[in-house]
Amino acid sequence: MRLSTQSFYGSALSAMLDQQAVLSRTQVQVATGKRVNTPADDPIAAVHILELERTQLESDQFGKNSEIARSRLNLEEQALADAGTVLQRVRELTLQAANTATMSDTDRRSVATELVQRRQELADIANRQDAVGEYLFAGFSGLTKPFTVSSTGSAVYSGDQGSRMLQVGQSQRVADGHSGFDVFMQVPRGNGTFATAATSTNTGTGVIDIGSVINKAAWVAGDYSLNFVSASNWQIVDAASTVVASGAYTAGTSISFNGVQVTVSGSPASGDSFTITESGSEDMFTTLDTLVSSLQQTAAMPADKAKLQTALGGVLQQLDQGADHLLGIRAEVGSRLSMLDGAESIRDNLKVDIAGSLADLRDLDYAEAMTRMNQQLVGLQAAQQSYIKIAQLSLFNYL
Amino acid sequence: MADFMATGVSGLLAFQRALDTTSHNIANVNTPGYSRQVAELTTRQAEQHGSGWLGNGVEVNTVKRMYDDFMASQARSSSSTFSQLDTFATQVQRVNNLFGDSSTGLTASLQNFSNALQSVASSPTSIPARQTLLSQGQALVNRLQGYDSSLDSLDAQVNVQLEAEASTISTLATGIAKLNQEISAGYARSGQPPNDLLDQRDRMLDELSTHVNVSTVKQGDNSVNVFIGNGQPLVVGQTASRLVAVQDSFDATRRVIALQSPTSSIDLTDSLTGGTLGGTIDFRQQVLEPARNSLGKFSVGLAQVMNDQHAAGMDLQGNLGGDFFAVGPVAVQASGLNAGTASLAVTRTGAGALTNADYQMTYTASGWTLQRSDTGAAVTLSGAGTLASPYVGDGLSIVVSGTPQVGDRLKILPTANAVSGLSVLVTDPSEVAAAAPVVASSAGTNAGGGTITQGEVLDASNAQLRSTVTIRFLTSTTYSVNGAGSFAYTSGGNIDINGWRVQVSGAPAVGDTFTVADNTAGAGDNRNALRLTAVLNQPVFSNGTTSLNAAIGQFMGDIGVKTNQAQVGRDAQKVVRDENSAALQSLSGVNLDEEAANLVRFQQAYQAMAQIIGVADKMFQTLLAATRG
Repeated sequence: MRLSTQSFYGSALSAMLDQQAVLSRTQVQVATGKRVNTPADDPIAAVHILELERTQLESDQFGKNSEIARSRLNLEEQALADAGTVLQRVRELTLQAANTATMSDTDRRSVATELVQRRQELADIANRQDAVGEYLFAGFSGLTKPFTVSSTGSAVYSGDQGSRMLQVGQSQRVADGHSGFDVFMQVPRGNGTFATAATSTNTGTGVIDIGSVINKAAWVAGDYSLNFVSASNWQIVDAASTVVASGAYTAGTSISFNGVQVTVSGSPASGDSFTITESGSEDMFTTLDTLVSSLQQTAAMPADKAKLQTALGGVLQQLDQGADHLLGIRAEVGSRLSMLDGAESIRDNLKVDIAGSLADLRDLDYAEAMTRMNQQLVGLQAAQQSYIKIAQLSLFNYL
Repeated sequence: MADFMATGVSGLLAFQRALDTTSHNIANVNTPGYSRQVAELTTRQAEQHGSGWLGNGVEVNTVKRMYDDFMASQARSSSSTFSQLDTFATQVQRVNNLFGDSSTGLTASLQNFSNALQSVASSPTSIPARQTLLSQGQALVNRLQGYDSSLDSLDAQVNVQLEAEASTISTLATGIAKLNQEISAGYARSGQPPNDLLDQRDRMLDELSTHVNVSTVKQGDNSVNVFIGNGQPLVVGQTASRLVAVQDSFDATRRVIALQSPTSSIDLTDSLTGGTLGGTIDFRQQVLEPARNSLGKFSVGLAQVMNDQHAAGMDLQGNLGGDFFAVGPVAVQASGLNAGTASLAVTRTGAGALTNADYQMTYTASGWTLQRSDTGAAVTLSGAGTLASPYVGDGLSIVVSGTPQVGDRLKILPTANAVSGLSVLVTDPSEVAAAAPVVASSAGTNAGGGTITQGEVLDASNAQLRSTVTIRFLTSTTYSVNGAGSFAYTSGGNIDINGWRVQVSGAPAVGDTFTVADNTAGAGDNRNALRLTAVLNQPVFSNGTTSLNAAIGQFMGDIGVKTNQAQVGRDAQKVVRDENSAALQSLSGVNLDEEAANLVRFQQAYQAMAQIIGVADKMFQTLLAATRG
């Protein structure tokens, strides 16, 4: 084929320009360290890269959320531990005061005075705030002081029952706290099935224990009353005044009905009664209030002492329930913290995975790129040299 | 006896012409569009003698231009396609680079916004976190508007380019018409081809082909007629039409290409192919407008999911959330040629059915029809076009007013203006609705083991949404609402009242009560913020199959694939163009070595002819000397 001089120069030049363009692309890759610099370089990889980089950003945010949740849960954990310590101290004081043989009314009143302090301490813990002033135990109403305790000890909870979930993983959410309702207001009353108490008008020295459940299936939920129809006979009546059980009284012998049993000791007088009420829940402040007001009563007479003992027995039971309740919540906090750890290790693995995928998709294989660049350099040089050599050839040189 | 002196002179003259032609070739070795010329030598008419026919020497029959019309038209059409693809690839590359940087791109902006929402969800009472959310929302808006204005400026450049192309094409057409005239005259004068004028015309046709695809038809008088588009005449004989960039009849800021003759103006934009003009038109139709619409659709989807969920929340001041983003309205453009007075009020029904296309609404004898501008496909409309029953189709709701005439057309741009009207409506950080407006609680005195969920909002517009509702269990399997009725209880079942939903599960006891009430104090509530982060990841486009992020991925992938394909297509077409042009060049291009050889050849022949004259002279002298005696 004839080759025109113009197209010889033209095609040689355009071949060189092409080589240069390829070389400059490789150079950009080497300079940026990226194989894919714009979507057109590899459209499918580019979309993957977008998604991977997005996941990275998202995962960083989940990490921040995790840290926030962790610091709040740590604060809660501390508050719960402090509340547990208060309850422990209260329990010690209660045991001390329960010794009716050695404690005088005055002694008990001074114990009651310290208990009022402890009640305030517990209220302060329940109203604790985090670093930015949000109340730990107010549910969603984080800017509302959740507990107001009157001088008589009755507590009003003004928070709500909300619990905030934080996103710590693609599909993992962890609550960053408990509401004060759950922590301080919902302590099961009595032994969890029923609670016992002495009627205030009792004149005998009968003391009822906290009772126990022997057959949960036989328990018929409801409020009952243990009435002493005489000093030696008792009967149990339900809310509708129907007699459920009755028998002769022997001090210290257990009285069973509907799958539960209670034990009365001492000498109840005829007409004395004890209530056996279905367990609901009681807040910790009411328990402390009951304790303080019981200790402030004079208990010189045996009947008063008996009532005091019954009351303190109930309070001790309630304090144990409270401590258990706090422990249960602390266990939940612990499991949330360990969930955070789990989520963190998932995130760490994901991070490594993403970095690996990004390296494969986006980043340049330098060894390969340098080899390629050398080849291209050699190619361009060869094109240039051969162009000069061939361009020198002309018949005119010999005319 | 033949006059071999005359033969010698004929040879001298002929080889002089040949040498002239060769040197003309050498002189034009670098002239673009020059075709090699060859002096065609033929023997002169022989003379009859008794002894037979005696030759009379040589003459130049014609100076022939080495050219092939078929090869030339091949080269032209491939170069036209190449410059179309080249222009397209260059332009789409700019869009590709615009969206290229993933670290500052749309995905990152959206994720930063989503992360800011997460931060609000983590610390709903924190004003700085809320302020950051508003800033990130603004950053996302800025990013989108930055892209949009870059696309706008590309669009403006397209308009300028169209004007330049039209004017170049018109100039070339005028030149070709003029050359047609000179060429016809040249042929008529001498009967010989005016080679250099033919080269000039072919060169202009080559040049024209790089601007737009043309077809040519040679006429009897050696003029060439040039047609563009679907056979519209650009040059007929010695008259040229003008190609001009005129205002789109729908949109004064948009340019379209029209063929103007003294009597008419025809819009050719959609029928022009090839060349830089075709590439520019393709770029606008296939990349620029879809890209702008994609960004618009994305904004509509973003505003829709954010606004819907934000409205279901409650802000720090205890008010229900308003719209978070504002988005630009649907644009409607009536054709300037409409005879009637019809106008359209168009609103979007939802991002799910929206497309990236623009539409054209046409009034025909049988009523209004809606067509996609890109595919031309008809869109089925429901409704009657009235306020009470608007036309609905492809995510648009259309109300017609005024009196149309048959043939009236209106253009509907559903998403083109969405980005330019995008803004963050929430300006006060406390107005971010991170909380849910209702909160559920169980009574402290409940004896049973029933629990209630915190509640979610289904319909924020319910007037009773925030009224207190008490659910009281009448038996373990039935409950009353606000003391009335008796409803069957299923553990974990949905209880939907007043536009909210809660679930009670477990075993509530008789008399247990649950309350759903206003959450005015719920400053620390993050339920709506969490839902906002969730809806950002939910599918919203393409009838609920494509999420915002997936839409960005789709868009980026689309740009990437288009750019990549354009580059591959251009490189492939370059090979085709180079081959076709090399084939033509191999016929018509000048080769210096060949010309050098010809130079030597014709020089030698010339010298030989001169020798013949010398010999003739000597013979004549011999004869003279003999006769002088």
